[in-house]
Amino acid sequence: MRLSEALDVIRAGVPDSGTVRRIHLICGFTPLHLETFVRARAQLRFPAAKIEIDTGLFGDLEGNVARAAHKSADAALVAIEWADLDARLDLRSAAGWKSETLDDIATQIGERLTRLHSLLRALAAAMPVAVLSPSLPLPPVTHFPPSQSGAFELQLRAAMAGFLERLAADRHLRVVSESELALRSPAAARLDAALLLHAGFPYSIAHADAVADLALACAFPAAPKKGLITDLDDTVWKGILGDAGVSGVSWSLDRRSHGHALYQQMLGSLAQSGVLVGVASKNDPTLVESAFARPDMILKPDQVFPFEAGWGAKSDAVSRILARWNIAADSVVFVDDSPMELAEVAERHPGIECLRFPADKPAAILELLWTLRSLFGKGEIREEDRVRASSLRTAAAIEPAAAGEASEEFLRKVDAKITLDYEMDSGRAFELVNKTNQFNLNGRRFTEAEWRAYFEQPGAFLVTAGYEDRFGPLGKIAVIAGICEGLRCAIDVWVMSCRAFSRRIEFQMLARLFENTRAKALLLRFSPTPRNGPTQECLRRLLGFDPPEGEIELTAEQFRRNCPPLFHTVHQPSRKERQTA
Amino acid sequence: MSEQEIRTRLERCFALTFPQLDPASVPSASASRLAAWDSVAQVSLLTLIGEEFGVEVDFEDFEDATSFTAIESRLREKLD
Repeated sequence: MRLSEALDVIRAGVPDSGTVRRIHLICGFTPLHLETFVRARAQLRFPAAKIEIDTGLFGDLEGNVARAAHKSADAALVAIEWADLDARLDLRSAAGWKSETLDDIATQIGERLTRLHSLLRALAAAMPVAVLSPSLPLPPVTHFPPSQSGAFELQLRAAMAGFLERLAADRHLRVVSESELALRSPAAARLDAALLLHAGFPYSIAHADAVADLALACAFPAAPKKGLITDLDDTVWKGILGDAGVSGVSWSLDRRSHGHALYQQMLGSLAQSGVLVGVASKNDPTLVESAFARPDMILKPDQVFPFEAGWGAKSDAVSRILARWNIAADSVVFVDDSPMELAEVAERHPGIECLRFPADKPAAILELLWTLRSLFGKGEIREEDRVRASSLRTAAAIEPAAAGEASEEFLRKVDAKITLDYEMDSGRAFELVNKTNQFNLNGRRFTEAEWRAYFEQPGAFLVTAGYEDRFGPLGKIAVIAGICEGLRCAIDVWVMSCRAFSRRIEFQMLARLFENTRAKALLLRFSPTPRNGPTQECLRRLLGFDPPEGEIELTAEQFRRNCPPLFHTVHQPSRKERQTA
Repeated sequence: MSEQEIRTRLERCFALTFPQLDPASVPSASASRLAAWDSVAQVSLLTLIGEEFGVEVDFEDFEDATSFTAIESRLREKLD
């Protein structure tokens, strides 16, 4: 983005929607164009919000971090440069580059990084923080020629690497990727020495834009896609299975088809991180089964669910997979080598992200793999990610069993256990609230800062439900949050993963809420959305009429009358355990 | 680049840097009469001019150019 484009975005502004996104931009230099780009990029990211940027004092990085921790914001972006860690490394100072001071500079930087670490941790306790490590070159302070790294430089880099590693271990502290920054902003074109000396701003325009964009992406990560549907022939492997046979398809260096091995490797890795991987292939199902039984397959059959192999339209296969996963097309990526198949699927499933597998083009395959990482990447892998595919597979397996007898009888026999958790700092709860569409009381989404602020209100509570039955665990799959004042209990958040439907978990959660709060009625803050039909159905059942938008009162008497029989064993912490939590 | 084109593009730089400025007042704008025209705005304006006209702007050369007419004249010299 050019500076004029950024200013155009800012000048265009937004209609006053009442939403504000406040961002701390923390650096030791004059923020100048970095502030402009952060404001413009943030505006593009949050088109309906008014963007407010707080900046600090020149030359006081540590103080700026400390002060920001006491001012609420949706996120903080922290740009560290070598000059902030020791003034002798600042091109605007002329304190001397004496060889005898180098050890002292290294010592000072080590101490300063230790202090900065604790300040950043305090800041991260209040809001998500994206940290940019020094992106500008060290000044030529040592006697070494530029072609050679001396001990001083390596010592500084080691101290910085250790510091960043410690930051990355904290889930609220996110380190901006230096390698991604290097792709977008070449090292030699980052410094604007004239601007630095004249105005105290060290970044070139292009570098300021790249830093702003990446830091915002780190602080406000996009919701990752949930599922990937892949073709097989000339995609997962090279060759047409029906023509070449099971031993004729390949994915190896020897057969000049290694790009397919890399793709399989990526699919396996995505499956491990909780991404649903399904197959839609025009093929003979028994042949597909045999191919996946080959011991050298990198993508294992248990990492794929479901397999849709047959001769019908690809879009029909995709429909069946989406129904099996119970997720919408816009959460899914479809990969195929055929432009025609991609077009057919895109037309039938608007919103699905269609990507062409560029067979025989290694560089383009690698680019595709990076695109997949970008679409599915997440900062943390939870237990729920590990069990997602297996729980769907189990659900499919038990469906015939459930259909064969009265559903109530079936639910009675599955040994369902629900564990209620009152942990306020639940990353999983935050994740569920921001990605669940179908069972969602009102579709409300939260930024991390809004989520934390919500629970700072008096009487705020959070209940997370985990579920397990004799077919296996589903992990934490439902969340209720609200505010209790005396016997008045208002619910602002009520979501449940679609994997947990038809188990009456939602009813059990309300039953426990009535029991624990002794409330005579719950106030449900309901809004219909285009996708929350299952929530509307649940409310209709409990209320006996179509739920109106707004605050709905559900009395304990209404609930008792209309709640279906529940068969779960519920574990919840004792009052003492809850108080400790 | 014609004189008119230089002027139009320069006016656009001013409009972006000083969004509160009435477009009709741009040709008579000066730092002494425009409160928003401080040293930071001067740097932003000059960077924008450098980007718009594809020239390297030496901040020192333009240090005393604190009105639209002065900047326009300095810019014409640079583009010639």
